[in-house]
Amino acid sequence: MSATATAAPVVGQSTADESAPVRLAVKDLNFYYGDFKGLKNINLNFLDRQVTALIGPSGCGKSTLLRTFNRIYSLYPEQRAEGQILLDGRNILDPSIDLNELRARVGMVFQKPTPFPMSIYDNIAFGIRLYERLGKADLDVRVEEALRKGALWDEVKDKLKQSGMGLSGGQQQRLCIARTVAQRPEVILFDEPTSALDPISTGRIEELIEQLRGEFTIAIVTHNMQQAARISQFTAFMYLGELIEFGPTNRLFMNPSKRQTQDYITGRFG
Amino acid sequence: MSASPAAVSGATPAAPPRPASPEWGRVRAGRRTADKVLVVGCTVATALGAIVLGSILLMLIVQGVQGFSPALFTNVTPGPGTEGGGIANAILGSLVMTALGIVVATPIGVLAGTYLAEYGRASHLANVIRFLNDILLSAPSILIGLFVYTLMVRPMGGYSGWAGAVALAIIATPVIVRTTEDMLRLVPGTLREAGAALGAPLSIVIRSVTWRAAQSGIVTGVLLALARIAGETAPLLFTALNNNSWFSPNLMGGVANLPVMIYQFALSPYENWRQLAWAGALLITITILGLSIVARLVLSGPKGR
Repeated sequence: MSATATAAPVVGQSTADESAPVRLAVKDLNFYYGDFKGLKNINLNFLDRQVTALIGPSGCGKSTLLRTFNRIYSLYPEQRAEGQILLDGRNILDPSIDLNELRARVGMVFQKPTPFPMSIYDNIAFGIRLYERLGKADLDVRVEEALRKGALWDEVKDKLKQSGMGLSGGQQQRLCIARTVAQRPEVILFDEPTSALDPISTGRIEELIEQLRGEFTIAIVTHNMQQAARISQFTAFMYLGELIEFGPTNRLFMNPSKRQTQDYITGRFG
Repeated sequence: MSASPAAVSGATPAAPPRPASPEWGRVRAGRRTADKVLVVGCTVATALGAIVLGSILLMLIVQGVQGFSPALFTNVTPGPGTEGGGIANAILGSLVMTALGIVVATPIGVLAGTYLAEYGRASHLANVIRFLNDILLSAPSILIGLFVYTLMVRPMGGYSGWAGAVALAIIATPVIVRTTEDMLRLVPGTLREAGAALGAPLSIVIRSVTWRAAQSGIVTGVLLALARIAGETAPLLFTALNNNSWFSPNLMGGVANLPVMIYQFALSPYENWRQLAWAGALLITITILGLSIVARLVLSGPKGR
């Protein structure tokens, strides 16, 4: 594996650890928007504390796939999934799964920053208070810890009581990441987290994702192939609702085994 | 516009010849005239509306201000043929019934609007409720008065402030339902998804996120409903009627209020009564104007502060 990394020094900041345990396993997953089949027979493993990027042209189903992992799609009655998604061996598509508990384990950061209309402190405390009863002092510690992990503490430590809506776009997105991290989830899903941000903010979010990898299993949907190459250890290429190719990022980018992958990453379509 | 058809079809790779610049003065005279006619028409129509509204306000101020005196706010309405008097009982009666009405209508209206926007959405039941609410919104207020008369005044054996408050609440509720639903629908769906993605049940997302995001709009709706019922006359005519003295603390019997007082006094043969009616009308107008201005300020105020 290290040989692959030295052969491709520009791709991937760190080597994929293919021996890491499976955190999230997708088995024969099909997804429907009403009558339209959005995902076709997806089989894919997400390994522990690795960043897996989902790439592919618009409408290929990469966001759809991401949205099955915390079942956020079930907010919309016409959407349904069939198959299995195992989180630490438990099928999260099972009707007996408590959705709110699942979402506390599988956090999500959206394309557009979504700060709640409340103070910076309360934005972070919101998710913690849902599942834990903490005293003021303990909560303060948790909020600070989360903001530090979100690389936002130094910028907001003096204005925790101010509204989260007053921050810049990049700061808002880091607030949302801190809010997700504060719940101490196992998996964090990123749905094009930088596509609404400027290049400098994007750089900071990418650094942040690299840091978070030490603690969380990460899945990220991105339109930006360079981004996928920079921050992920594994990459899945999807096209028309199907998983075309999956593998360590440097292998997939340097030596794709499928023609469609090759065409996409060289910019021939998409 | 400037590209020739050949260039669009892309038959030749060479740059298409640049078309000659069009001549000046191509706009037909008829089009210029039509433009002017529309501008003049719109201006005249606006001016007409403004003049009518302005003259009403001016008349109200000129006639109403004469009646303003300390006695207006301290004395009760005079009996027939007596001198002087004020409208203190009508002011207090209006305040009490409007307040009661809005206190009843606000929770019902906000919760029903929340049901429509957050839970019911496009369901059959929600559509039926929305349709009925729209009908109630445009129902003639005299019908509401008759309804409450049959439902409360007759069984209770007389007019009362309670019946008046209920009639006003029925008028305010559909206004609040509608604005609450509209304002909640303006809250981006991504905010709800973000709440759900943290594992928050819908009830908590609504309470701590969606309501907060729509807060200023919902408050505006309540204020507009308040302004609407502050001047309603017909429903009070059948329910609270009027009274020339202080109403009883239990609100039973006739309860004096500004709109009905204006209606009765303005048509009376007594000079001092008509003066009080003008003063009362000006007072109501100022109140409604004030409420509308506050509503606008709330809505345009800085969001999320």
